[in-house]
Amino acid sequence: MLEKIKNNFNTQTWVLIPIAIGINIAVGQIVLVLKLPVFLDSIGTIMVAVLCGPWAGALTGALSNIIWGIAIDPGALPWWPVAAMIGYMAGRMAQWGFFKSWWKVVVTGFVVALTAAIVSTPIAVYLFGGITASGSSFITAYLLQTGQGIWQAVVSTSFLTEPVDKITTAMIAFAIILGLPKRTIGGYPKPEQVETEGGTSKNQMYIAIGVVVLLVLFAAFMLRNILGG
Amino acid sequence: MHERLSFHIKRDSIIHNLNPLTKLVLTLTLILIAFSFPWYWTPHLLVLVAIIPLSLLGRVFREFSVTALRLILPAAGFLFLMQAFFQPIGTDVIFKFYFLDITQESLMFAFKNAMRVFVMVSSFTLFLVTTHPSELMSDLTRRGLPGQFSYVIISTLQILPQIIAKSQTIIAAQRSRGLDTESSFLKRAGSLIPLIGPLVFGSLMEVEERAIAIEARGFTSKQTKTSLHEIPDPSFEQTLRWALVALIIISIALNLWLS
Repeated sequence: MLEKIKNNFNTQTWVLIPIAIGINIAVGQIVLVLKLPVFLDSIGTIMVAVLCGPWAGALTGALSNIIWGIAIDPGALPWWPVAAMIGYMAGRMAQWGFFKSWWKVVVTGFVVALTAAIVSTPIAVYLFGGITASGSSFITAYLLQTGQGIWQAVVSTSFLTEPVDKITTAMIAFAIILGLPKRTIGGYPKPEQVETEGGTSKNQMYIAIGVVVLLVLFAAFMLRNILGG
Repeated sequence: MHERLSFHIKRDSIIHNLNPLTKLVLTLTLILIAFSFPWYWTPHLLVLVAIIPLSLLGRVFREFSVTALRLILPAAGFLFLMQAFFQPIGTDVIFKFYFLDITQESLMFAFKNAMRVFVMVSSFTLFLVTTHPSELMSDLTRRGLPGQFSYVIISTLQILPQIIAKSQTIIAAQRSRGLDTESSFLKRAGSLIPLIGPLVFGSLMEVEERAIAIEARGFTSKQTKTSLHEIPDPSFEQTLRWALVALIIISIALNLWLS
């Protein structure tokens, strides 16, 4: 067990983690500037998880939320277990070979989203009574007004919002890793997890970018439907 | 965005001279009691009898309140509004706004939650204002925290402002080349790649160089490292820490027992 955790961490992992946290936060802010209906605040976490392993991913996620919470937005602080689970699950999926082609990355994103939804629900219910300071709480509030129980309302909100966000995030992480030179990837603990299969890596990158754009469009469409209805 | 991520203010006071671990335990105690003690007015009382006096004792009241309020008001205020409007509890409607009702219960509930967030943020702010991050990390490393963790925390605090500055530069540069960041939704979504790409690749290129640099300074060496300056830890502070831990346990136990 301890050996398995240790093999996630070499010097390059330790150096990558702070930079990944920076990427998480900076990309989160770029998305705010562009006013897109996703968060995309775990790209760095997923990259660490895939290149270095689940434990490194979990550490990156947790630290990222804690530092974000302390330095920028205190509202992010209680959610560190969610971020940690996102990192852990992405790492596990990569270990099982689900980060090697674009449709497998979609599956990874989906599994990560379900995990995030499950972990975040008790935090939202116990700490905030279901209504958090996040924009997606408008959906929860709407569902509560229609007479749903608090657990159903919170769970269905997460299931509506998380998959699009997490699949997009995983896709962007995949596109970035494909764009990195082989020599750079070789220095991380688990370079074999991202060897692409099927199609040249350039084609895969275009497909990944295409899927990202489609997903963002789908998110906007769904949000408009829910809030309009 | 602030230029640097350290809130630390150098002063000479009782709070500044406490051992960093004592301050950390104190902060966690305040937060956990605010969230777990089963009495409605706990968080409000904690602010009045603990956090404000401590900041006066640390001679940082002015800086502390400015930083804390700037961090808290958006978060706690928004949470308060969301909860006051949307929490569907209670029947005693005191205010109606279209289909949204504010009941007395939802108002009280929202107020309590906003105060909890207030305690959480303000006690952390107090901790950060009175403690230098590298002092905290060297103390924790001395107690057995692996040096790699300290490296991650300290270098994140250093790198974060740099990466955010870099992202601002990239946004400005791409805009000046005519990248559309504000028109239709499709155009904005398309702008994501030209903004994220340079940022991420640029930052990742540094990784290898940094890894070689810290490796050359004995980063993974198994030898015990010596520290240049000692951080005092008198015995009464150790007692104080255990007392605070006991308080946390009592508070959580009461919460479980009464619920």
